[in-house]
Amino acid sequence: MTGLVYKEWKQNRWFILSMILCGLAPLFVLLLMRGEISNIGNAPIRIGGLIAGFLVAGALQMLVLRGDDRKLWGYWITATPEGYKGFLRVKYEMIFAMVVLFLFSLQCVDRGYCAVAADMGITEIEEVSGIAVPLCFVQILSRAIDIPFVYRFGSKKGSIIKMIFMVTGAVVISVLMILNAEHFDTVIEMCKKVFNVQNSSLILSVCLVVCLALYYLSYRITCRLYLKGVEQYDH
Amino acid sequence: MTTKKENAKRLGIYLLIVFAFMLFYILCAKLMHQSNTVYYIIYMIFSFSPAIASLIARVVTNEGFRDMKLHMHLTGNIRYYLLAFGLPLICLSAMFLLPVIVSGHGDWLCGFTFSNVLSNALLLLAFSAVQSIGLLGEELGWRGYMNQKMEPLLGTVGTCLVGGIVWGLWHFPMDISGYLDGNSTFSEVLFSTFGRLAMLTCFGAFLMWLTKKTNSVFPSVIAHFMYNESQGAVMSLLAQGNIPENTSLQLWTDVMRYLPLLVIAVIFMILLLKNKKKENKTL
Repeated sequence: MTGLVYKEWKQNRWFILSMILCGLAPLFVLLLMRGEISNIGNAPIRIGGLIAGFLVAGALQMLVLRGDDRKLWGYWITATPEGYKGFLRVKYEMIFAMVVLFLFSLQCVDRGYCAVAADMGITEIEEVSGIAVPLCFVQILSRAIDIPFVYRFGSKKGSIIKMIFMVTGAVVISVLMILNAEHFDTVIEMCKKVFNVQNSSLILSVCLVVCLALYYLSYRITCRLYLKGVEQYDH
Repeated sequence: MTTKKENAKRLGIYLLIVFAFMLFYILCAKLMHQSNTVYYIIYMIFSFSPAIASLIARVVTNEGFRDMKLHMHLTGNIRYYLLAFGLPLICLSAMFLLPVIVSGHGDWLCGFTFSNVLSNALLLLAFSAVQSIGLLGEELGWRGYMNQKMEPLLGTVGTCLVGGIVWGLWHFPMDISGYLDGNSTFSEVLFSTFGRLAMLTCFGAFLMWLTKKTNSVFPSVIAHFMYNESQGAVMSLLAQGNIPENTSLQLWTDVMRYLPLLVIAVIFMILLLKNKKKENKTL
């Protein structure tokens, strides 16, 4: 297993370390738009930077999957003692570690910024990294969906097929909503009942744990699909 | 095979660096009080000082970076990860709730509804997976390095006791900062320091057992995170209860606070000794 970790580190160390830089995104955006602070306000710019950081980090996390969609590698890793399951486990652990590293960097930078601002006499400054935690779970969920597609169909084909699935899903939901337009008010009322103040924290906590469970489920699904995917890789 | 002399040298260098960081923190206390930025930077460096010290000690003694216990070893060890999450939560809840219950103030616990407790537990479970990484700065040093070097020298019980005391003492700058800022009295500092020493020594036995069982520091990281965060979660639920202002519990109920951790310390010390016996037999 150490060998696989070493391989991933040698191959992807710059992508892993770039997560620290992505955590600096709110600060970069704030520096770039410092002239707009008086108009827009401090927090919205930082939140914008935070979202930009999430998008870049997400793209970089997907880049670590590049280069593994080769037949020869697939057969070779299956024949090793760790097998393809060990290889996939290290990949999943590494991507999870990247998400965690990004969040840690983001929180450190944000707290540091707040400390500097407080020293400068800005009293109404607030940490925005609180938003980062739920977004981090969204990122985990996105990766849980992305990775099986990449290993089943290869990185290029996989992203196209995923897109087709997503668009189809969106179209189906839109059609269902249009067809059931007359029941829309009852659905909204039902949602209001479920997502009330008392339930909201319970629902949020369940959703966060479900994201983690889905990430594990995604690993199991990828393990099932991997060998089928290897058969279909171009080279 | 590493000799006792080598272990003692490595441990000595490690402890020297850790306590140098501690001294640095105390010396900067005044500066930290004046500036939030300085406070933040020094606090961050200090909280990673055990990991930094272990890395420096590894370089200085040419030990290398093997056996840092950085593999997660999830396969076959999920139950230990679950224990790392659950036990501190139960223990900390008992620590805070036992004194309230034995002093007959059960009515203060109206915030502990099923939905509240479940949502807090699930939130902690989710957060422990993504936010506990900062504690690697401590665990890499204490469990990942110090305990390994200490055990051949002092034995299992000695490592639990001395290791726990060292770990507790390392927190001393945080305890004394209130006194240096003029926010608390010296007797309060002493009370919190000795309280922390006792609690961390007891809790350290559990963390040591976890690390040895899984050969990884990550379960300890999660357990440490749960130990820190459970306190906040339990207190927030307590705050939802009907607690009259300016009330305090009788002094004897304070003893109950230490009981759950004491039980944990005894249980895991016995388990550690049993494991040691098994290891010796197989050798």
